[in-house]
Amino acid sequence: MRRKTIGVIAAAAVFAMTLAGCTAGSSGSGSTSTSGGSSSEPYIAIISKGFSQQFWQAVKNGAESEATKEGARITFEGPPTESDVEQQITMLTNALAKKPDAIGFAALDSKAAAPLMEQAKSSKIPVIAFDSGVDSTVPVTTAATDNKAAAAEDAKHLSELLNGKGTIGLVIHDQTSKSGTDRRDGFMDWMKKNSPDIKMLDPQYSNSDLAKAADITKSIIAANPDIAGFYGSNEASAEGVAKGIQESGKTGLKAVGFDSGKAQIDAINSGVLSGSITQNPVGIGEAVVKAAMKAIKGESQPKFIDTGFFWYDKTNIDDPKIKALLYQ
Amino acid sequence: MTTPTVIDQKRPGGLANRLRSRLQQFLAFGGLIVIFAFFSFASPNFLTFSNFTSMLFSTVVIGTLAIGTTFVIITAGIDLSLGTGMSLCAVMSGVFIVNWQLPLLLGVVLAILFGGLIGLVNGINVALLKIPPFIATLAMMLVAQGLALVISKSTPIYFDKVPAFSSISTGNLIPGLNFPNAVIILAIVAVIAAVVLNKTVLGRYTYSIGSNEEATAISGINTRKWLIVIYTFSGLFIGLAGVMISARLGSAQPALGSGYELQAIAAVVIGGTSLFGGKGSILGTVIGALIMSVLNNGLQIISVPQEWQNVILGIVILAAVYTDNIRRRGVSA
Amino acid sequence: MTQTPAGPEPLLRISGVNKSFPGVKALADMHLELRRGEVLALVGENGAGKSTMMKLLSGIYTPDSGEFFLNGTKLHVTGPRQAQELGISIIHQEFNLMSDLTVAQNIFIGREPRGGGFFLSERALNAKAQELIDRLQLPLNVRAKVETLTVAKQQMVEIAKALSYDAKVLIMDEPTAALNDAEVATLHELIRRFVKPETAVIYISHRMDELKSIADRVTVIRDGQYVDTLDVQQTSMKEVIALMVGRGLASDAKPVGVRDDREILFSVRALSTKDLLRNVTFDLRAGEILGFAGLMGAGRTEVARAIVGADKITAGTFTLRGKQITIANPADAAKHRIGYLSEDRKRFGLLLEQDVTANITLSAVMERFSAWGFIKIKPMKAKARQYVEMLRIKTPSVDQTAKNLSGGNQQKVVVAKWLVKDCDILIFDEPTRGIDVGAKEEIYGLLNELAGQGKSIIMISSELPEVLRMSHRIAVMSEGRITGILDAADATQESVMHFATLRPNENLADARELGLVDALAAPIPGAGAVQRGLGDK
Repeated sequence: MRRKTIGVIAAAAVFAMTLAGCTAGSSGSGSTSTSGGSSSEPYIAIISKGFSQQFWQAVKNGAESEATKEGARITFEGPPTESDVEQQITMLTNALAKKPDAIGFAALDSKAAAPLMEQAKSSKIPVIAFDSGVDSTVPVTTAATDNKAAAAEDAKHLSELLNGKGTIGLVIHDQTSKSGTDRRDGFMDWMKKNSPDIKMLDPQYSNSDLAKAADITKSIIAANPDIAGFYGSNEASAEGVAKGIQESGKTGLKAVGFDSGKAQIDAINSGVLSGSITQNPVGIGEAVVKAAMKAIKGESQPKFIDTGFFWYDKTNIDDPKIKALLYQ
Repeated sequence: MTTPTVIDQKRPGGLANRLRSRLQQFLAFGGLIVIFAFFSFASPNFLTFSNFTSMLFSTVVIGTLAIGTTFVIITAGIDLSLGTGMSLCAVMSGVFIVNWQLPLLLGVVLAILFGGLIGLVNGINVALLKIPPFIATLAMMLVAQGLALVISKSTPIYFDKVPAFSSISTGNLIPGLNFPNAVIILAIVAVIAAVVLNKTVLGRYTYSIGSNEEATAISGINTRKWLIVIYTFSGLFIGLAGVMISARLGSAQPALGSGYELQAIAAVVIGGTSLFGGKGSILGTVIGALIMSVLNNGLQIISVPQEWQNVILGIVILAAVYTDNIRRRGVSA
Repeated sequence: MTQTPAGPEPLLRISGVNKSFPGVKALADMHLELRRGEVLALVGENGAGKSTMMKLLSGIYTPDSGEFFLNGTKLHVTGPRQAQELGISIIHQEFNLMSDLTVAQNIFIGREPRGGGFFLSERALNAKAQELIDRLQLPLNVRAKVETLTVAKQQMVEIAKALSYDAKVLIMDEPTAALNDAEVATLHELIRRFVKPETAVIYISHRMDELKSIADRVTVIRDGQYVDTLDVQQTSMKEVIALMVGRGLASDAKPVGVRDDREILFSVRALSTKDLLRNVTFDLRAGEILGFAGLMGAGRTEVARAIVGADKITAGTFTLRGKQITIANPADAAKHRIGYLSEDRKRFGLLLEQDVTANITLSAVMERFSAWGFIKIKPMKAKARQYVEMLRIKTPSVDQTAKNLSGGNQQKVVVAKWLVKDCDILIFDEPTRGIDVGAKEEIYGLLNELAGQGKSIIMISSELPEVLRMSHRIAVMSEGRITGILDAADATQESVMHFATLRPNENLADARELGLVDALAAPIPGAGAVQRGLGDK
């Protein structure tokens, strides 16, 4: 009988979870702390949007090296996937409870974090937003890539590769986060304005699942025999696009990606991807810690710190300046 | 009852009964045909060889997990550690093949056995420690997710030095035809699982335990032992799924996989296996998995916004379970 | 006693009803008449069609053909709720009560008085329930939670609930199955005083003795067909039983093949468990039927469960053919060819959702029907067919699902399972519980046949006449101990009762002092009462 009850619970849970469209990842987040000796050092708690992905590891490395340089103590944590909004909020709550000297925060969902931002403000803990930023007046500054501008750069390159015409598919990593919408809108706005002969299909969303991105790409190729190009808006999406193109066996397609990662770099080298935009993740990490230290000392700083982005392709991938920004 | 004592297995009553108990499968299969026909009609690009193979291809991982967990679900259990367990096995395949540079075949076998180990632990927790399956496998889900990240140091392991590994999934065994090996492997696995479920002692006890665990125990069958065997056997499929996904992607992705368990369970349920145990079939599960991937693919092909794809999938699951309920009421006459 | 019907038209008339399920014709041209203010007993073997009738009347099934008339108006019942509104209430064997709610909440579930808008008025609810309880003179506290009530009181709640709907027809399915004598008397009193005048009752029962006390007329059905309706006062129960089974009943049967010179096959010494059993010691001979008698809770089932390893033992030894054996779990018992047929077939005996073949071969799959882990389906089916024929199991085929079989046939399937396993020792726990009279005789015949083949049988039964007619020897238990072992020749209802009520901690003299033995000396008011006393659970 107990077994049956479990069955009922399980059934209920399956439906609740399926219908809520939740990914059921409730843990597996990571956190690391760089211990820095005495507790009199300023402590900066950094909550990122992810942890295990290469990009976030690079941000973490940047933050850690800057912290060592400035003599600060940091913790760096993030939820396992970029849909775990609730888990990120829990992490932020816990971080606030530890009364850090400053907080670095990349919001998965700015609205969900709003009350906590107010709490940080009233406890006089400065907040440094990074990556996609936080939609709030609380953060002292935002250290981020200008995603819209970066996506527009991608659009420009793809348009050039296609000589301004053809049908293209968009594989976007997320439809709710700011980085997702910025990279989608920045790309689409530029295309509409500057390259009207390129026909953009409705964007599809991969939820940063490589296998899913590959399946989507293959579906788009099957549905649109005249497809000419693709845009993948982050590491998993771009690698998925490359995977999907390879698996479909279709040749002559032009595809551009975003971020880096070993598979993406390989795809660019082998020509499946024409090129990609790299952010400066290490730079983002450094900027967060730098800005946090300034805020702790009460120095003034600009509202937005553009950490920059670069287009890279086969021709400049081995350029040391670019190579330094790429992660494998 | 007016039925005489004389036994005649060809009586229509027996046949009708059997047909009825297969109704869910027929419904699921009919549903698959209808969905397939609909998309073929709606878009000329749906029914092409390449799209057909890509649909099958995208069924492989979920299908493998679903086939394995069919056994557990027939025992009235549940396995929530499928998705992250798969990630862990994927990572382990990377450890064995890339980091330790073991021979490819050995590495693959070890990764599959590692899945069996996950199942074994689940089985021990459920059968010996009497932890409800939902809880035991929920805990395993977390443990596996954490271990996958720890062991991989949160970075993907790439198999680019071992190209033969990828060909397990993406290679073409049939010469001259772009038909991925993964699909062939899924078909073989499905046949093996169906044979085990229908023709072996393990399968027979799977149904018995799911129908009535206490009666099975009183009948002199060591149900604890067999539950452990069943979970372990089911775990092998988790290992295989881990191998298949990392072979497809050419990398072991430690963060991928959570959420896959629910898709696999959904496929099993659509295929007519009862979460209350005692009933189910591999064919049904395969059809269930196909329905999921045909729907995913077809809805993308006819450009249904992605938000609505999930809504439709949810409704399909409800419809499948509803028809199952109708059947249940029909038979309990 | 019987009230003359008010007119030619009875209260409820059913005519020409047919109902089929795949492979089974459940009802054929069924008809039935219920008069105003009567208690009509509906009797028939299991599978005769009683429960199908009930489900038709409550709208759970729809008939293939046929008509229902209530007060001369044609009925079209679409569901239980509507049946209730039409005035047809059913009290099932398993009550439809919510154990966490109070008596009042249960009675008026779905019809709660509102205290304005969306809020409930608990006070109005309790007052309304109290009024009803008072009118029926029921010993119930309307505020008590149902889970705290005895089965008898829960049944009263069901009756009160049915009457609160102004039921014209009340159908009761085996209402006394779980009641003791006093409770049965109370129930009958309740029916006579409060139900009957306004509400006619269809009373379904297996207990022949109580029909005399409560029913006015009795309708017998058999194999889905109407047989006859008789006036209870002018009919002997033997006649009713004969109509039910369609043949005469062997009466006063005696145990067969009693011999005391056979070798001892299995011995139990000083068996104890944590909860109940103390120092249980007995021998079982080859080819013997050893009856286990005792009051409810005496520990008979516990002995069986301990022997097959289903429950843990704290002390005791088992000796099989002179060799001491250990039994840690049912798998061990099966290995030593000891089979246990539980009193609760559905819970411990059968795989209800599986077919007859799977059930019959379950125990022996590994050793007899498999090679290299693969099962051999053809031999399995052949074996199942053989036993279906041998035990005369009524089923359309061996592919039939077990839950579609009647109780007696399900029991035979469980027996077949252990015979296929080739057990030497078979423990039957209440082998005829819930089985109709005809099937009982078949089970008795089967037990005798098995004993005749040299198999040793332990038969646990709460029906004293059954124990007496079947057992070669009778072990009587009381409070976890065996208080006496009687030979068939010495055993009478009185002597068994004597040992069954013996307090094992005290000697006979103490028992006499307490009036226990003296009570036994007094004439026992009829076999039926004794049987019930023993059967109460």
